[in-house]
Amino acid sequence: EYEEKAGRAQRPLSPKQNVRKNLDFEPLSTTALILEDRPANLPAKPAEEAQKHRQQYEEMVVQAKKRELKEAQKRKKQLEERCKLEESIGNAVLTWNNEILPNWETMCCSRKVRELWWQGIPPSVRGKVWSLAIGNELNITHELYDICLARAKEKWRSLSTGGAEVECEDAGFSAADREASLELIKLDISRTFPNLCIFQQGGPYHDTLHSILGAYTCYRPDVGYVQGMSFIAAVLILNLDTADAFIAFSNLLNKPCQMAFFRVDHGLMLTYFAAFEVFFEENLPKLFAHFKKNNLTPDIYLIDWIFTLYSKSLPLDLACRVWDVFCRDGEEFLFRTALGILKLFEDILTKMDFIHIAQFLTKLPEDLPSEEFFTSIAAIQMQSRNKKWAQILTALQKDNREMEKGSPSLKR
Amino acid sequence: FFQSSDFLFKFLVIGNAGTGKSCLLHQFIEKKFKDDSNHTIGVEFGSKIINVGGKYVKLQIWDTAGQERFRSVTRSYYRGAAGALLVYDITSRETYNALTNWLTDARMLASQNIVIILCGNKKDLDADREVTFLEASRFAQENELMFLETSALTGENVEEAFVQCARKILNKIESGELDPERMGSGIQYGDAALRQLRSPRRAQAQSAQECGC
Repeated sequence: EYEEKAGRAQRPLSPKQNVRKNLDFEPLSTTALILEDRPANLPAKPAEEAQKHRQQYEEMVVQAKKRELKEAQKRKKQLEERCKLEESIGNAVLTWNNEILPNWETMCCSRKVRELWWQGIPPSVRGKVWSLAIGNELNITHELYDICLARAKEKWRSLSTGGAEVECEDAGFSAADREASLELIKLDISRTFPNLCIFQQGGPYHDTLHSILGAYTCYRPDVGYVQGMSFIAAVLILNLDTADAFIAFSNLLNKPCQMAFFRVDHGLMLTYFAAFEVFFEENLPKLFAHFKKNNLTPDIYLIDWIFTLYSKSLPLDLACRVWDVFCRDGEEFLFRTALGILKLFEDILTKMDFIHIAQFLTKLPEDLPSEEFFTSIAAIQMQSRNKKWAQILTALQKDNREMEKGSPSLKR
Repeated sequence: FFQSSDFLFKFLVIGNAGTGKSCLLHQFIEKKFKDDSNHTIGVEFGSKIINVGGKYVKLQIWDTAGQERFRSVTRSYYRGAAGALLVYDITSRETYNALTNWLTDARMLASQNIVIILCGNKKDLDADREVTFLEASRFAQENELMFLETSALTGENVEEAFVQCARKILNKIESGELDPERMGSGIQYGDAALRQLRSPRRAQAQSAQECGC
């Protein structure tokens, strides 16, 4: 595109062409800067003034050309970068498809694959890699999905006709509660990525999202539908077929961190926050002290980030890259990402008071620079005094259990 | 942004999912209806300085998630709230029936003197109304709540809800019924008031409150 434009601009040559001959492009707009002679009906300029004006004109042209040259070079560089990026994505797709995916078990943990993984999984293989990485510990089959979906549909039917109560073994949940939860799914679907306009009533993925969430409430009535799930299911739907999305969804939610949060096990959530704070203090001591001083507890921003796996708070392409590495590294990457965000904005956050930090973190800027963002995450060390995330978490859980024995109402 | 204030009040917005809590907050702050809003997970925030009878009051508003399941999380945000908007949807009896639960929580967990205004939202959807004005205003009276029907869509009564609630708190402070220096009152002196006071005793009280919220 750039060369085409440059080529076109070369035809209408301006008089000062000898100066520009060695440039490989022609400035686009300087041709519009034409020094007109004074209209004939006016007295001629004094020679000195004319000379001065000519000089000023030439300076203007030189400046304009300089600027345009710079812009053209920038465009060229951007184009080159885009080509390089496209080429590297193309290469990555080949590597993933031909080398890694066929040999998943042996290759998934190799250094080379892990590095490639960090760069972001190409969208065309993303779903496959996520599925493999999340696994199917629960052994859910497509048939099981169909069964759960059929039961969900039965419930919806009986709800809408107001007919007899469907036989249900949802221990511990009242009929009213289930009803509310089914109603809430309907309400929340329309409020899931509303700007994409694909999950809303009449959109192409509305029914799919509805089905997966409904099927899940039948598969796990003990967990049911919890706000935040619709975002996770939506991101999976964007990358996988319906039944596979359901399998990934159920297995993902079955991971310890997700179970703790989606069951709203407050005690365990606080343990996660405490572990997070250990690494927060280690990595960003100044900001940590500032947050403490302002009583800004991590639940205020982490709840949204963890419940939706960043898909609500980050731009979707960045969120998917976070998911990529989350699939590789597990729950600790969610907390590392949080620290990466805090690190990226450390300077401005240190200048803010409670309410502005809270507002900022619960509504992150939309134009997050992706490379800086991942550099910032990479700079976060997930080791505290030689202890890793899992060790810290286990130690805190143990402390917690012992303290709970002492005082039953352990709250912050 | 840098307008100085005489007081800082912590406000809550509570009520069932889908009643329009975040939209009320957005309408109050941006003077616009947000028609592509997400549902709130956990808590979101807003702040605004309003002028109530010549005093500048900075509202620090905590907009909470509505799903029952999040109750154990959002409860921990009630502490030290001076005021609350308790929101139901006039087109949904279910959200109205849940008010008692929300109210119990607020009275128990926020400051004792919390001032609550009941907001029957989605006033613009009068054709689908399931809760009458009269019924809700009786409920409000019985439970010593202020009451307004609001519309986050048109903006009707939205500013009023926040302002009326703040005004009542200010009145309580002036009558001595509320002591801003008491821990957990949900009230702090704003920067303007602090500059005037600056006595060591007050400054101490201020920092004690900061630790307590």
